[in-house]
Amino acid sequence: MKLLQTIVVGYDGSSDSETAVRWALHLANETNANVTVVHATGMLEHLHNRFSRDEAPPALIALARECGFDEARLRWLVDDGDACSVLLRTAAPPIDADVLVVGARGHGKRVGLLLGSTSLEVTEHATTPVVVVPSSYVDR
Amino acid sequence: MVLVINGAYDDSGHEDPGHPERPDRVRAAMAGVADLHLGSDLIAVPPYTASRAELARVHDGGYLDELGAFCYAGGGDIDQDTYATFYSWSIATNAAGAGLAVIAELQRRNDGVGFIAARPPGHHALADRAMGFCLLNNIAVATAALLSQGERVLIVDWDVHHGNGTQQIFWDEPDVLYVSTHQWPLFPGTGSAGEVGGRHAIDRTVNIPLPAGATGDVIRQAIADIAEPVIDAFSPTWVLVSAGFDAHRLDPMADFQLTSGDFAEMARSVATFAPRPGRLAMFLEGGYDLDALRSSVHATLSSILGRTHEAEKLSSGGPGADHVARVQRERLAALEMLHSTEEEETTP
Ligand SMILES: [Zn+2]
Repeated sequence: MKLLQTIVVGYDGSSDSETAVRWALHLANETNANVTVVHATGMLEHLHNRFSRDEAPPALIALARECGFDEARLRWLVDDGDACSVLLRTAAPPIDADVLVVGARGHGKRVGLLLGSTSLEVTEHATTPVVVVPSSYVDR
Repeated sequence: MVLVINGAYDDSGHEDPGHPERPDRVRAAMAGVADLHLGSDLIAVPPYTASRAELARVHDGGYLDELGAFCYAGGGDIDQDTYATFYSWSIATNAAGAGLAVIAELQRRNDGVGFIAARPPGHHALADRAMGFCLLNNIAVATAALLSQGERVLIVDWDVHHGNGTQQIFWDEPDVLYVSTHQWPLFPGTGSAGEVGGRHAIDRTVNIPLPAGATGDVIRQAIADIAEPVIDAFSPTWVLVSAGFDAHRLDPMADFQLTSGDFAEMARSVATFAPRPGRLAMFLEGGYDLDALRSSVHATLSSILGRTHEAEKLSSGGPGADHVARVQRERLAALEMLHSTEEEETTP
């Protein structure tokens, strides 16, 4: 098995996605991997763009600092599409993730329902290993 | 020529306060129809609920079960864009059935044009997933019904977004030709010129991605230069249109600069692809500015029915003219690559 070099993690600004990013950054610290944080721009976001395509959001930068992660190894990506498709596309070449990290739930999802669960959809279709970080995860 | 529309069904239960995909959209579209004053030339067919078998031609059984259960459990957000309510299953199956009913009436008459003003829209819905406001892929359900009768179906998708669901469902189907003009980059991120169809359906997908700000002249040129030769060679027996009106200049969901006059002109040219009367049906997809939707539906249908109407002037001068040649180059390169892989595989 090759070394962990590239981690892709989904981010939508929700606290679940922050938990996932935090876990990914810790893993990257341990393994010296690069991290690509990707945000999926849905259809509604055209009405009110939440994230810049060029600059990582301040909350993400703050998170990287808090985790002591080297910002030079952090890449911010915004892509058009639903979260599931965007995560799968990002994990594919050329980025070619070794692991794909997602939060258990994004914005506004109802607990316990299969439909609408990005993490389950991604797990079903991914060809790279997927880590689902539970909402209740607390770094120890 | 008569206009065949789907009879009204109650879609008020599929609503999420503040969401742009709302019941008023169908009312605006129907106001555009009423503005035609067709009298007895307007035929409304009774509402029809698509059966499980009709839906299962394009959707996975597991997904249909899940969607139904999700709705009857009270619904909620399916993804960042897409919602369902308790009533959505019943409303979505009526939307999918509306196209089937209109097509059956066109077949019975061998005359007329169909217009399906149903929601939720469909062209983003994948075989196994809801997305982009879409739950069931209405135009795909209709296309699959026609395929089962041995027809060859051209789908023209002029919604400003790429119809990723429709493309995926018929990706490897040689008897469907899918042609899409759409803004790129934009949701859903698919629809590059190099996506030309699966191994058994090479050149049965024609994607024409164009930049923000594109005007009607560029889209007309793209359809004439890129799509028309492929359509002529395909020679469809039916033409279905994913008629989204969110490419209108006033629509908040995207940045094309089309006018109601542009839609009328596109409709006129798309109607010429139908082999005879009674073989053309338009499905409402997007369109979120209610005034633009009403006037664009009116202009589109007036144009197809050959009625005089007032519409906004044709738009022109936007960016994208150089894209048309680039799109064609990318398409041809992708086709060449597919053909050469085919040859390699068949050469001993
Ligand atoms: Zn659209």
